[in-house]
Amino acid sequence: MEGASYQRFPRVKIRELKDEYAKFELHDTDASMANALRRVMIAEVPTIAIDLVEIEVNSSVLNDEFIAHRLGLIPLTSQRAMSMRFSRDCDACDGDGQCEFCSVEFHLRAKCISDQTLDVTSKDLYSSDHTVVPVDFTDSAGYESSEQRGIIIVKLRRGQELRLRAIARKGIGKDHAKWSPAATVTFMYEPEIHINEDMMDTLTLEEKQSFVDSSPTRVFDIDPNTQQVVVVDPEAYTYDDEVLKKAEAMGKPGLVEIYAKEDSFIFTIESTGAVKAFQLVLNAIEILKQKLDAVRLSEDTVEADDQFGELGAHMRGG
Amino acid sequence: MEHGSFTDNSAATFSLTDEDHTIANAVRFTLNQDPRVTFCGYSIPHPSEAQVNIRVQTTGDPAREVLKDACQNLMLMYRHVRCTFDKAVEHFKASNAVKALKIDSQDSSGDDSEESE
Repeated sequence: MEGASYQRFPRVKIRELKDEYAKFELHDTDASMANALRRVMIAEVPTIAIDLVEIEVNSSVLNDEFIAHRLGLIPLTSQRAMSMRFSRDCDACDGDGQCEFCSVEFHLRAKCISDQTLDVTSKDLYSSDHTVVPVDFTDSAGYESSEQRGIIIVKLRRGQELRLRAIARKGIGKDHAKWSPAATVTFMYEPEIHINEDMMDTLTLEEKQSFVDSSPTRVFDIDPNTQQVVVVDPEAYTYDDEVLKKAEAMGKPGLVEIYAKEDSFIFTIESTGAVKAFQLVLNAIEILKQKLDAVRLSEDTVEADDQFGELGAHMRGG
Repeated sequence: MEHGSFTDNSAATFSLTDEDHTIANAVRFTLNQDPRVTFCGYSIPHPSEAQVNIRVQTTGDPAREVLKDACQNLMLMYRHVRCTFDKAVEHFKASNAVKALKIDSQDSSGDDSEESE
C-alpha cells in the first residue's frame, strides 16, 4: 500500500461513568465517525425484547394487543444478545424461532383476589433464563424500597386475571424501537470561548452583569474577587448566539469569540438498562466492524457496462 | 456490486444494499483521507430503499482496492477507539476507587485529588 493515508487516530477521555450513563470526550476524529457511532448505538446494537405473546386469560381493562405492545417495550437485560442468533437465522429449531438458542420464554400469572387494586409489574414476569430478566430500576441506595416495584403493565381489580406466555427474541432498533438499547445518545462539538479582555475592561459592572445574564445557560460568571467576566462552564453553551447578539447590541462586536472545535466531541450516553453504557459503546464498535467487514469482503459482481443496468439508468436520470 | 469499466478500473461506483448514511459517510471521509483518491462521494437513490452508491475515482490504482483499504483503515481506527476506550474506563474506575479510599481516610483535610489524565 503506497502512500499512507492522512488519517489520525482518535483519543478518548472519560468524564463520567455510571451503570446506565456515560459521558466521554472523543478527540482527533471527524464528525462522520462520531455520527456513525451514534447511529449504530441507537439503531443497530442488538438487544432482546418480547416479540411474541400468547394470552390465555385476560379479563383486565386493557385489550390483548395493548398489553402485548406494553410487554414488548419492557427493557430486558441483554448481555447475551451479542452472542445470540437472530430467530430467522437459527437452524436448531424447526423454523418457528422458539428454541432455547434463539429465544427466551417468559410467563406471567396474576389474579387479583383482594379488594385492593393489584399492580401487575415487570417484576411479575418470570424468565426461563436468569440472565435475561426485566431490568431492575431499584436504586442501590435502597431508600424507600417499597416504591420501586418495576414497570406497571396493567392494574387489576378484584376478580380480574391475566395469564400469558411471551417469547423474547434478539433484534435491532432499526426494526422496532423496543429493541433500541439507548435512551439518548448525543454528541456536541467542544466549544472554545475566547474573551477579549481589553474590550471587556471598557464595560461597567452592570454591563458585564447584563452580558453574563444574557446567556440562557450559565456559561459566564463574574469573578467576585477580580470583577472580571470568566468562563465558568464552556460546555453549557448550546451554540445559540445569544451572547454574540447581546455583545453586538451593546455596540461591542467581537467582545467574545466562540468556535466549535471541529474534531473534538463530547458524547453523552444514556442507556435503557438493557446494556450497560460503556458496553453499549463497545458493542457499537463491534457492529461497525462487522458491517465494514461485510462491505470489504463481499464478492463484487462487476457490471462493466454503464449502458445497461439499473444504476446506469439512474445515473442517466431515467 | 461494482459498476465500472473493464478497461479502466480506477473509477467505479459501488452499490451497497442494506446500508445507509451510517457507514457510507464514514467510508467517504476515510476515502478522502487517502491521497490516491481524486474524487469520492456517496448518494442514496431513494430514501425508502436501503441502497447506497459510493463513487470512487483514483489516480490510477484500482478503485476496488482503494475502497477495501479505506474500510480497513476505518476498522483500524475503530479498533483503536475501542482500545483507548477500554483503557480510559479502567483508568477512570481505578482513579475513582482511589478517590473513594481517600475520601474515607481523610476526614477534615481539604486536599483535592488531582484529575490525572
